[in-house]
Amino acid sequence: MMATVTSTADGRAVGTSPPAPGQDGNRRRRRRDAWAATAFVAPSMLAFGVFVIVPALAGLGLSFFSWDLFTPPEWVGLDNLARLFGDGRMWGSLWVTLLFVLLGVVPTIVVGFVLAVLLNTRLPGVETLRVLYLAPMVASSAVAAVLWAYLYDGRTGLANSMLRWVGIDGPAWLSDTTWALPALSLMMIWLALPLVMLLYLAGLQRIPDDIYAAAALDGAGLWRRLWSITWPNVMQTTVLVTVLQVINFVSGSFETALIMTGGGPLDSTQTLALYAYRTAFEKGEMGYASALALFQLVLIGVAVGLVRLAAKLRSAT
Amino acid sequence: MTLRTLVRYATLLLCGLLMAAPLFYLLSASLMSAQDARAFPPHLLPPNVVWHNYVEAYEFLSARAIVNSFVFSIGIVAVQLVISIPAGFALATIPFRWTGLLLGVILVPMFVPANMTLIPLYIITYQLGLVGTYAGMILPVAGQTAFAMLLFRQFFAGLPAGLIEAARLDGAGWPRVLTLIALPLARPALAAYCSISFLTAWNTYIWPQVVAPDREHQVMTVALAPLAQGQYTLMSPSVGLAAAVISMMPVLIIFLVFQKWYIKGVVGTGLE
Repeated sequence: MMATVTSTADGRAVGTSPPAPGQDGNRRRRRRDAWAATAFVAPSMLAFGVFVIVPALAGLGLSFFSWDLFTPPEWVGLDNLARLFGDGRMWGSLWVTLLFVLLGVVPTIVVGFVLAVLLNTRLPGVETLRVLYLAPMVASSAVAAVLWAYLYDGRTGLANSMLRWVGIDGPAWLSDTTWALPALSLMMIWLALPLVMLLYLAGLQRIPDDIYAAAALDGAGLWRRLWSITWPNVMQTTVLVTVLQVINFVSGSFETALIMTGGGPLDSTQTLALYAYRTAFEKGEMGYASALALFQLVLIGVAVGLVRLAAKLRSAT
Repeated sequence: MTLRTLVRYATLLLCGLLMAAPLFYLLSASLMSAQDARAFPPHLLPPNVVWHNYVEAYEFLSARAIVNSFVFSIGIVAVQLVISIPAGFALATIPFRWTGLLLGVILVPMFVPANMTLIPLYIITYQLGLVGTYAGMILPVAGQTAFAMLLFRQFFAGLPAGLIEAARLDGAGWPRVLTLIALPLARPALAAYCSISFLTAWNTYIWPQVVAPDREHQVMTVALAPLAQGQYTLMSPSVGLAAAVISMMPVLIIFLVFQKWYIKGVVGTGLE
C-alpha cells in the first residue's frame, strides 16, 4: 500500500519536470506541493487528532486518576489497577467475556465460511439470492435487540412456541442466568455473519480455478477439496476474520447486551466492556472505568497476538 | 448434473431464507393484532393485516426522532465528506514527505475498540460544552475520519497517473485537479462511502444515547432501545416491531440500491 504512494510520487516527480529543470524551479514546486498537501490534509487530520488520537491517549492517562467529571480529577497512581484485580465483579465480567468469545467467534467463522463456499458459484441468480444472506446488515443493534427480545420472550416468543411444538418447555431466555448469554451470542452471530461471509467470499474468489481442476483430475472429492485446498487458501482471511470477531464479541457486543439485558440477570451477561461502560456512565467513575477499558484493550491485544501466532505456527508446519 | 444444480439451488435458497427469516418475521408480526402476535400455535403470516400498528408506531417514535436520525446521519456524512476527500486525495497524489507517517498514524487506532475511547471522547465533548447538542452528537463521530480517508486515498491512487500529470502540466493547481478532474471520476468511491457511512451512522446507538438522550435530540435507535427490555408493556408488541420496521426503512432502501458499492467498500477496506 505504501509502495504505491512512493512510486506514484516518484513517477510524478520525474514526469512533471519541465524540459530544463533548474534546481530553483524544482524546489519551488516541491514547496508548493507541500503547502497544498498540508492544506488538504489539515482539517481531516485535526478532527482525527481531537476525536481519535487525543481520546486514545487520554484513555491511557485517565486510568491513573479518580474523576467524577464534577470535581477536579485526582491522581491516584496505580490504585485503579490494584482495585481492578481485587474486584470480584471485574473477574465475573472477565469470565462472561471469555464465554461470550468462545460461544460466538468459532460458530461465526465456521458458518460464515460454509455460507461463502455455498455462495461462491457461478449459477445464474446467485447475485439475487445473496441479498437474503446480507439481510442482517441493515438491522441496527436497537432493531435487532427489539426483534430478538420479542422472539426470545418466555411466554409468547416464537422460539418457545416452536419448542413447544416438539414438546420442550423453553426457558425465559433473556431472564435466565444460564440461557441469557447463549441467547445473546446467537443473535450476535446472526448480526456478524454477513461481513464474515463477504470477506470469505472475496478470499475464495482469489483462489485460481486451475487448482481445483487439477484436484478434480486427481480424483479429490468435495470434502477433500474443501479441507485441503479451499480452507488453507483462505488462511489469511481466517486470521483477519478471527481478529475482527474477537474485537466484535469482546467490545462491540456490549451495545446489544446493554440494550437487551442491561448486563443481567445477576450480571450473567455483563462483559468487561459493559462493566466499564456502566462504571463510567451509571456510577460516574471515569478513572476506574478507563482502567477497566484499558485492561480490556490489553486482553484484545493478547488475543490478537495468539491468533497471529497460531496462524504462523500452522503455516510453518 | 441437473439434479445437482437443483439441490444446490435448494440449499442456497433454504440457507438464505433462514438468514433473512428473523427480518421477514419482524415484518409479518408488525402487521398482526396483539392477540395474533401472542397466539399459540404462532402465526407466520398475519391472519388480519393491522395497518394501524404503523400509525401507533409513528406516534410512539414521534416525527422528531425521525428527523433527528436524518440530521445526525446526514450531518456525519456531510462533514466527513468535506474534510476527508481532500485528505484522501492529497495522501494519494500530492508528493509530500509526511505521507507515510500520516498513513501510519491513521492506521494505528483502527484496531482500538470504540468503547475504549468512548469515555475520553465523552469528556472532550463535555469540556467543549457540546453535551446535549446536535454538534456534540455529530462532530465527534464525523471526526473518526480514518475509514473515509483510506477509502478515498485508495480510489484516487488507482486513477491513471498520466491524467493528473497532464492537468498539472497544463498549469492547473491542486484544488482544480481535485474538483475538475479527480472528483467527477470518483462516483464509485462516493457511492461506497456514502452508503456505508450513512448506514453506520443511522444504526449508531451508543454515542447519541450517551451524549444526547433527551427527547429533543433523541434519534430513533435511542427511542427504540427501551422496547427490548419490555419497558412499554402496555403497548402491543406489534407496535414496537412496527417502530423497528419504520426505523429500518431508509437504510433498507439505501442498501438495496447501493448494494454493489457497499459490498466493495466494506470488503476492500477490510482487507487492507
